[in-house]
Amino acid sequence: MDRVVPQAVPLGQMEVFQALQRLHMTVFSQSVSPCGKFLAAGNNYGQIAIFSLSAALSSEAKEESKKPVVTFQAHDGPVYSMVSTDRQLVSAGDGEVKAWLWAEILKKGSKELWRCQPPYRTSLEVPEINSLLLVPKENSLILAGGDCQLHTMDLETGAFTRALRGHTDYIHCLALRERSPEVLSGDLRTAKEVQTIEVYKHEECSRPHNGRWIGCLATDSDWMVCGGGPALTLWHLRSSTPTTIFPMRAPQKHVTFYQDLILSAGQGPCVNQWQLSGELKAQVPGSSPGLLSLSLNQQPAAPECKVLTAAGNSCRVDVFTNLGYRAFSLSF
Amino acid sequence: MLFLPPDEVIRKRLLIDGDGAGDDRRINLLVKSFIKWCNSGSQEEGYSQYQRMLSTLSQCEFSMGKTLLVYDMNLREMENYEKIYKEIECSIAGAHEKIAECKKQILQAKRIRKNRQEYDALAKVIQHHPDRHETLKELEALGKELEHLSHIKESVEDKLELRRKQFHVLLSTIHELQQTLENDEKLSEVEEAQETSLETDPKP
Repeated sequence: MDRVVPQAVPLGQMEVFQALQRLHMTVFSQSVSPCGKFLAAGNNYGQIAIFSLSAALSSEAKEESKKPVVTFQAHDGPVYSMVSTDRQLVSAGDGEVKAWLWAEILKKGSKELWRCQPPYRTSLEVPEINSLLLVPKENSLILAGGDCQLHTMDLETGAFTRALRGHTDYIHCLALRERSPEVLSGDLRTAKEVQTIEVYKHEECSRPHNGRWIGCLATDSDWMVCGGGPALTLWHLRSSTPTTIFPMRAPQKHVTFYQDLILSAGQGPCVNQWQLSGELKAQVPGSSPGLLSLSLNQQPAAPECKVLTAAGNSCRVDVFTNLGYRAFSLSF
Repeated sequence: MLFLPPDEVIRKRLLIDGDGAGDDRRINLLVKSFIKWCNSGSQEEGYSQYQRMLSTLSQCEFSMGKTLLVYDMNLREMENYEKIYKEIECSIAGAHEKIAECKKQILQAKRIRKNRQEYDALAKVIQHHPDRHETLKELEALGKELEHLSHIKESVEDKLELRRKQFHVLLSTIHELQQTLENDEKLSEVEEAQETSLETDPKP
């Protein structure tokens, strides 16, 4: 935000508007560039901001390096999910998918490379696209959203190849199993495409007062972590049994596997680190009151920018260089 | 050395012996006393002045020797420091390598720990289920019971069949007997009727 000038001049309307905007901002999605040095964050106003991680992490970082390098208006509605391919940044919001070239974004050009709308059943519905998933083997993109279907789009031709139906409700999250080519999708009630695991039906992990929705999903080939309404649980996929339940009261919105830990973030301000045995190893507080998205920069091209970034219900993106503490925050 | 610019010479002299005390002054005094000795009169004075000059000279030589030794010492110290510097560089490189090794080991250990935790989690689930041997034994016992019971059922059914057949035989024999008795009655009735008709016929 422009620094408030400490004089007797009253704040102009522009500044008030900007301050209000920042107060109500929610960052829904993040994505790391293929070179590993930039982070893109999308918020609820449809803007995408590109931050330079290498500048912010360097030893001469100043206040300005924690501001975005470029901000542009990507969508009319909120940007719910983003994913990066080798050269493009694909962002999805209310019913539309757009792609931007990383090289051009950095040069401050905001022309989109292409935009697509997956074929919906009726032309009246414009459901939001909650999650994007890249399948590198087939070079295709999978979209999932409020129309309860999974659409597959081939990245080269831009044509929509398949629509997978089976879910009965909105789809929140997608995850890819590497060894066997399956896609797990979690929706309000069930999780999984090939096999339906009705998470809420298992007594150990269901929490009826929170609801039945599955907010976050992550998979590690044989194991899957999912959470949301029911408690955060680790499942063994071959036998479809819940093995460990993590004792976290607040519903978690994003979860991911990292080395031998499971990182999760949700309604509280902290990033939780769990061991697979169910013990809470650490709870690291961030600066937002609730966290919606975690992103681990593991691009091999930039090992010095290997950080965890967390963003949520505020205009700040926390950067963790060491999983034990929050280093600093980038801000819109 | 002779072609140095004059300020160099002055700078060097100031550096070495700026405040006028020490060797520079001694050399000046020596020169003055030499001139005085040349102009001296008596023999004893000249001799004592000569001795004094010799002692000043030896003092100068002594201090020169000392400076040379100090210079040598400095050179050797420099060499020593160079050696230590190289050794420290080597050990730094070695420590870097060790750190990289240890990082790899940490990654490996984390993977192993993750695998162990996965095994533990699965083992906990497995523990909830009963032992396989017991279940097999129970299955066997149940199978045997089932066989036994089916044998009993078969034998009971056989008995039932047998009884049914016997009763059937009995009932059919009874019916036959009944039939025969009825037939006999009818026959005897018919015979009686015939007899009475025969009796009434010849009367008229």
